Amino acid sequence: MLVTAEQPERSGSPERRKNQRSLAARLVLVAAVWSALALALAGVFLVSLYQSASERAFDVQLEVHIKALISEMLESSDEVSTRNSPTVQQPNYRGDPRFSLPLNGWYWTVRRADRPQILYASESLVGDPLNVPSLGDKESGASFIAGPTNDEVRVLQQRITIGDTAYVIAVGAATASYWADIHEFARLVALTLCIVGIGLILAIFLQVRVGLQPLSRLRSSLSTVRQGEAERIDEALPREIAPLAVELNALIVSNKEIVERARTHVGNLAHGLKTPLSVISNEARSSDGPLADKVTEQAAIMSTQIQHHLERARMAAQRRVIGVSCDTEPVLARLVRAMEKIYRDKELQIQLSQAAPIRFRGEGQDLEEMTGNLIDNACKWASSKVEISVSLSNDPTNNRAMFDVIVEDDGPGLTVKQRAEAVQRGKRLDETVPGTGLGLSIVADLAGLYGGTFKLDQSDLGGLKAQLTLPQLSSD
Amino acid sequence: MRILVVEDDTDLNRQLVTALEEADYVVDSATDGEDGHFLGDTEPYDAVVLDLGLPTLDGLSVLEKWRRDGRLMPVLILTARDRWSDKVAGIDAGADDYVAKPFHMEEVLARVRALVRRAAGHASNEITCGPVRLDLRAGRVTVDGSSIKLTSHEFRLLSYLLHHQGKVISRTELTEHLYDQDFDRDSNTVEVFVGRLRKKIGSDMIETIRGLGYRLGDAGDS
Repeated sequence: MLVTAEQPERSGSPERRKNQRSLAARLVLVAAVWSALALALAGVFLVSLYQSASERAFDVQLEVHIKALISEMLESSDEVSTRNSPTVQQPNYRGDPRFSLPLNGWYWTVRRADRPQILYASESLVGDPLNVPSLGDKESGASFIAGPTNDEVRVLQQRITIGDTAYVIAVGAATASYWADIHEFARLVALTLCIVGIGLILAIFLQVRVGLQPLSRLRSSLSTVRQGEAERIDEALPREIAPLAVELNALIVSNKEIVERARTHVGNLAHGLKTPLSVISNEARSSDGPLADKVTEQAAIMSTQIQHHLERARMAAQRRVIGVSCDTEPVLARLVRAMEKIYRDKELQIQLSQAAPIRFRGEGQDLEEMTGNLIDNACKWASSKVEISVSLSNDPTNNRAMFDVIVEDDGPGLTVKQRAEAVQRGKRLDETVPGTGLGLSIVADLAGLYGGTFKLDQSDLGGLKAQLTLPQLSSD
Repeated sequence: MRILVVEDDTDLNRQLVTALEEADYVVDSATDGEDGHFLGDTEPYDAVVLDLGLPTLDGLSVLEKWRRDGRLMPVLILTARDRWSDKVAGIDAGADDYVAKPFHMEEVLARVRALVRRAAGHASNEITCGPVRLDLRAGRVTVDGSSIKLTSHEFRLLSYLLHHQGKVISRTELTEHLYDQDFDRDSNTVEVFVGRLRKKIGSDMIETIRGLGYRLGDAGDS
């Protein structure tokens, strides 16, 4: 006969917990995304700054050549004639040998502003045109064009007026080295920022780990309390979360107080109800007549009901206790001592055997109530011997560490049908033996409340074998 | 046999006293812990019925104080708080047995009877001494198998002597255990009852030990 176990309440399903992302991962992810974005923007900004500066430097270089060309165009005129009636001559500009090497990327042209034909050009053009865009009304302008060899060329144009005639001087240079510089710079910037980014992410990770360590300490402290290994959460935590630990401790204390109060109330209620019930029932039993019989009968029913509901109320309060555990050996040894005294007339041999120390994950009073009822029951029926053994076991369905308390006697035992009836509320199989008949059903209810089981079987000693399986506090 | 009942509920107290008196015990009673403790501390009782939930001083403390002071009379505790932790606490404090409320009076009487008998070293509910046999459960005395009629006082006297057979019992001890605390200890009622008892069970059964008291059965008998 097996009494099924009611599973104890658990907070949140494992499925839900699996879907909740870690706080540390969340912090690292946000910081990493933000850092990557900031570094990328910084990189773009730096490269664009570098490009502008390079462009300006490139243009300054071209401007120098324009000025040199203007100077060469006016070189032959004497100072007075130039001032009065300036004349233009073909510049023979060799200030930079690159203008002489054919198609090497450096070019200049001079043309009249009002005509597209080129007047003079550098030797490097070897007769090819340099297709510069029109300046329009502007005095100067820079632009990128395709050179004679289709390479990109940056051209700086400037309008000058000599005498009555306006000329446009254009100097261009291939941009390959300019872009190579910019790309090299961009590569270096990207490399540097990547290294900085990786360093930042590592620093963030470390910061989060170190920063969240107190939370992990709080969690393990709470877990030790929940397992019953400690009574309070360690409050030596950083300022920000210390109040949380203080509040949790207050909650634990308040929880224990509520249970204690509930227990006291139940005790007081028991006293308040059972004493007058004793009076009523004894008064009725000492009288004769149908009224007295009815009162006796109803008082017995009331007594069973009160007992049952008080026990349920005690259990309901018990469900809310956090973090309690107790050693099984002292509880059982105390019970054996008490039973030896209570049943001394029967001269019973009560044996308790427990190989290793075991801690019950629950309230000592409940363990005492369950095992007390079983041992009391065994002592009531035993002829000469009661054996109690405690051993470790396992719950294969939930993979939880459990332990068994087996109480056997050499009494008459019970049939299969009687065993099933024995755990029913208020059922007494033999009215000649004192008791409320609630003992075994209370054991079954309490065992179920702790996620344990309770079985009745035939003992090798000849009598009843009661097996109680309860959760133990594992050392891990 | 003299019993002390300590129970704060006056109705239950009265019921217990009546039932015990009807079972031929001499009964004193108290309704709070302090009075109960005082009586148990100063008077010799053969057993005490002690409620745990008492005003002024709780039953457990009363019991612990008695045991600390070397008062070893058997104590039956009555408790409405009937968890095993409460019962074991009572037994650990020195109680000999417990009865959970609500109880049937017969159960209390049976427990008290067992406690008194056990305290005197008797294993069974029948105590015999020569031809005299006392059935504690039925409250009946037979001599050579024939039932004899005894008054309440005679029954108490014979019961006490049978429980302590072989021992010399002083007149004072008999007075203390056969009468309640208000009884005039100087009266010679005990001698009168011993004389009447001798006529009913046989004159040689109760021996007068001059200057010391009375003895039922031979020295060393049990």
